[in-house]
Amino acid sequence: MIEVRNLCKHYGARKAVDDISFTVNDGEIVGFLGPNGAGKTTTIRILTCYHPATSGSARVAGFDVLSQSIQVRRHVGYLPETVPLYPEMRVREFLRFRGKLRGLARGERETCIARVTERCWLGEVVDRPISQLSKGYRQRVGLADALLHNPRVLILDEPTVGLDPTQIRETRSLIRELTRDHTVILSSHILPEVEATCGRIVIINRGRVVASGTPQELRSRRGDGAVHAEVRAPVEEALQAVRELANGAKVTADAADGWTRLRVEATGDLREPIYRLSTQRGWTLRELRRDAGSLEDFFVRIVAEAQMQAPQ
Amino acid sequence: MRATVAIMQRELLSMFCTPIGYVVIAGFLLILGVLVILTEGFEPGQPATLRNAFGLMPFILAFVVPAIAMRALSEEYRSGTIEGMMTAPISDAQLVLGKFLGSAAFYAVMLGTSLVYPILMQVYGSPDWGAVLSTYIGLLLIGLFFLSVSIFTSSFSSNQIIAWITASVVLASFAVGGFLLVRHVGGFWRQLIQRANVMGRFEESALGLFTTGSVVCFGALAGLFLFLTIKVVESRRWR
Repeated sequence: MIEVRNLCKHYGARKAVDDISFTVNDGEIVGFLGPNGAGKTTTIRILTCYHPATSGSARVAGFDVLSQSIQVRRHVGYLPETVPLYPEMRVREFLRFRGKLRGLARGERETCIARVTERCWLGEVVDRPISQLSKGYRQRVGLADALLHNPRVLILDEPTVGLDPTQIRETRSLIRELTRDHTVILSSHILPEVEATCGRIVIINRGRVVASGTPQELRSRRGDGAVHAEVRAPVEEALQAVRELANGAKVTADAADGWTRLRVEATGDLREPIYRLSTQRGWTLRELRRDAGSLEDFFVRIVAEAQMQAPQ
Repeated sequence: MRATVAIMQRELLSMFCTPIGYVVIAGFLLILGVLVILTEGFEPGQPATLRNAFGLMPFILAFVVPAIAMRALSEEYRSGTIEGMMTAPISDAQLVLGKFLGSAAFYAVMLGTSLVYPILMQVYGSPDWGAVLSTYIGLLLIGLFFLSVSIFTSSFSSNQIIAWITASVVLASFAVGGFLLVRHVGGFWRQLIQRANVMGRFEESALGLFTTGSVVCFGALAGLFLFLTIKVVESRRWR
């Protein structure tokens, strides 16, 4: 559905996007993740035909973004980072206007407006001027506009920025629902958001793709999970026994009022062996848990690595 | 086509949904009213014509018309709504044309309000309606040309005030420059200036002389500036 090959975009001497390639399949929901200024918006603007790339090519819905720009724009619904709304218009007027721009005939236009206002919970504000709406409602109007012509591809740039927690949750569930009929790309610098909504994540930093895969894949690549256990046992004895179990992995222990806290830094799951060990030796076990290693750590690390590699 | 009409409607609507449209019309009528009184259009014994007042109209328009079109593209660039326009399935030419037609429709409405003077003249005397008609056609033509220049300057800057001042300076020098320059040059340049002298063309129509030459002249100039505007809008994508 979306095919990006060796895309570059230079602003003068600065490379905003530096040789990015990826593909998005039909019905997929892909998250662009990266710190601010990583090149997410620039990439998105190339895909939506807002500005052309310096080199490389991109195809959206089977059309080239440069030579078949109008066809691409017909198949794409786009929610920019700053939602482009005319404050003096009413919501319905605005959606009508956008429908006309997209060449929807009158009857079709009204059905489309009815559909998106329902979908984006705009019912109560549809006859209010946009200038009176709160940030959350404006964001929804933008989303309604992107959905208006029922596009095959939806491109959302920071869709939840500036929303309150309830609205963020609602927007996320709306986006997840949308994948049934649309292919979605969304960008964000907030990891839990991407993790919660996307089937696949592309991490971008300094204009390059530094990692991509499903959340599970990325998590497993991280490789530094840990098991925590708290037992009533002498520190030395517990440490030695667990070291044998862990088979060379790093084990640390500290004691506090008769209890010993153990931390085993191993990738595998050592919870069951530790439980058996404690029952064998008659230790009381009061805590046993495993940190799978959050994606957040992975993201921070991978961005930091890329930062160090980049010539300053 | 539908998209162009939609942009035109939105443009016209936004002039009347915001104070700007009313301010422009009020300013226009105020200056015109002062002009009519100063040129003694309604003194007893004078010929029933507004030629003197309306002859000076282009000088007012040089400042009023840019105020109509200054928002056209500048506001889109300033507020970021241009992103929605440029990613909608419409060509840059449709966008510029829609903006131009919307401003032109507003200009026509504004011009319509000045019809109060010919109507008053009819009440107190018997004006030459043929001359009035040709004056209005002339005003419409010169206005379209002025609008195209104003939209052109508005495509450069995201600041409305800069767009307005630039257009006013350019148009005022167009309006005055022709007369001043034509005395100082000869030969080919003199001919060229005489032909492109928009004020001269307008005065012809104010006298009731309506020629294809002036339609072509104004039309070509407006077309040229609209074309340049489209090119500027296109080129801004590449930055």
